[in-house]
Amino acid sequence: MYLPSGVYHETYRADNAWWQTTFVRAKMALLVVLLLVGVPLAGNYPLSIANVIGYTILSALGVQLLIGYCGMITLGHAAFIAVGAYVTAIGMLRYGLPYSVSMVLGAILAGLWSVLFGLPSAKVKGFYLIMTTMAAQFVTVDFIITQYVSRVGGRGHYFSLPPGTITIGPWVIDTELKVYYLMICLVTLCTVGMANLLRTRVGRAWIAIRDNDIAAEMMGVNVVRYKLLAFFVAGVLGGIAGAFWISSLYVVSAEHFQFSWSIWIVGVILIGGVGSLHGVIFGSVFVTVLLEALKFAVIPLSDAFPALSTGFLYIKEGVFGLAIVLFLLYEPHGLAYRWQQFKNYFNLWPFAY
Amino acid sequence: METFLQLIITGILVGSIYALVALGWTIIYKCSGVLNLAMGELTLLGAYVCLAFYTWGFPFPVALLATLVVGFVLGLLTERLFLRRMIGQPVLAVIMITAGLSFFFRAVVGFIWGTDTRVFTPQVFPTEPVRFGKMVLGQVYIWSFLAALVLLVIFVAFFQYSRWGLSMQATADDEMAALSLGVSAKRVYALAWAIAFMAAGVGGTLLGNINGLNISVGHLGILVLPAVVLGGLNSVPGAIVGGIVIGILQNLSGGYLEQLTPGGVKEIAPFVFMVIIMLFRPYGLWGWEKIERV
Repeated sequence: MYLPSGVYHETYRADNAWWQTTFVRAKMALLVVLLLVGVPLAGNYPLSIANVIGYTILSALGVQLLIGYCGMITLGHAAFIAVGAYVTAIGMLRYGLPYSVSMVLGAILAGLWSVLFGLPSAKVKGFYLIMTTMAAQFVTVDFIITQYVSRVGGRGHYFSLPPGTITIGPWVIDTELKVYYLMICLVTLCTVGMANLLRTRVGRAWIAIRDNDIAAEMMGVNVVRYKLLAFFVAGVLGGIAGAFWISSLYVVSAEHFQFSWSIWIVGVILIGGVGSLHGVIFGSVFVTVLLEALKFAVIPLSDAFPALSTGFLYIKEGVFGLAIVLFLLYEPHGLAYRWQQFKNYFNLWPFAY
Repeated sequence: METFLQLIITGILVGSIYALVALGWTIIYKCSGVLNLAMGELTLLGAYVCLAFYTWGFPFPVALLATLVVGFVLGLLTERLFLRRMIGQPVLAVIMITAGLSFFFRAVVGFIWGTDTRVFTPQVFPTEPVRFGKMVLGQVYIWSFLAALVLLVIFVAFFQYSRWGLSMQATADDEMAALSLGVSAKRVYALAWAIAFMAAGVGGTLLGNINGLNISVGHLGILVLPAVVLGGLNSVPGAIVGGIVIGILQNLSGGYLEQLTPGGVKEIAPFVFMVIIMLFRPYGLWGWEKIERV
């Protein structure tokens, strides 16, 4: 890690601190001010985009943990997000629990559900594990939720969430701004939690498993237990994402949690960088902003080519697919690596040696 | 009993189409080690290309041949542009590049042809059903079965007897040895993708003839995965048997389990079946068992 000369640590605590120089602390303070004050001033439209970014970050965190830190490729994460969303909604609508309690409940149940489908990871890995996670997706969303859960309490209207349903104590979450602040809280909590978890024994065990699971087992890591723990934590993060996302929805429905969303969030971490928490955030921001920018690019053209606006959904998907492919071909380490290079360049600038 | 037989026979007939597509998947995996998630989109693309030729007024066999040619060219192009550079990359990168391609192809199909269900008009195959005793089978199933069978035989014969097919087998068996004996691995990879595109295109066309053609035909590509897992990932006979078994299984679960639940069993039964197989026999029927060392 880069440190400018003249920085000396006298305690282990200071040596392990996240932010070690005044420059970094000032940069982070600036970021906090920007997020808490700057973005809310920008108006409702940027806020709604920021909320989508936040949701993508929360969704992708669990995937990053499984793929980037534990080496288990998952293509079924939307299932656990769905479990979180549905459990939270049911807890509030049917049992009258407060939002925060049902969110915790949703997160834990999503984690347990994830462990259930992670059980085969004790025996299989690689391509076969991808298949089991895909099976988790189809069994959970396309079968259990679509065919059973959606019909709880009559078809169609039961999972509607009129504005004002979601409250934390006396605080009613009914505007984009309030959703935004909720999002900032959750994203900070989850990211900081993950970052610290990865520095503990647990995180190092995960990384050892990612690098070589047989070697990790010989070094005394209980591979099965840590793999299941990874599934649990990833499921909890997914559950939190789902529980957050219903705050900006009017109706919870299975369409939000399809297989394509599972692949989408894997694409997001690929674009951002596998095995890096920065990557989750960069990827989410990049993909969401790119697709919004695309909308602005299409609007002026849609008079001349009306097909562009009617088929916009497909353009979006096509561009996203192409973005994944191009990133894999030309920037396989993702945006986080590029950011690191950028910082390294300016650390020594203007003398590049 | 009649229902049971009827379900089994329809399952075999539909399963032969799955077998065709699964064969395409297996060939890519066997030759180049790429786990392809875009198979469903390849079937979509092929089916719509054939539909386009057919609606322009070409007779069906000509349209099918033209689809094969287009599939061949697209396969070569895809391999050259995207997959060639991914040789030796980590498995996640290779899988996700095919996932990215699947997003891209589906978007292309959706953008050009829209989401409405299209049918081949006029009907390609005669519509009056054929009766065997008490069983009633649509002619379209029988013709599809025959077409899939002919193609399967052609492909298998190609691998067994032709020079290129043998070089593909050699590469799959031991790439280093094949290279040192003068087999061009690049040509083998390209050919594998071309064959996969052709097989998928025909499979999609046949399925489109049975149920009408819309974007959900791409779901077939995901059904292929249980089939190849059952057969063993790198076994050609395994893919064929796996495809047929998945077809039968899907029909049986549709016929018997569908009444017990509100619906949707037909779509997920192959996956549940696949997970069970994976837990007990991850290398499938005839796949190679891998031994891992540090």
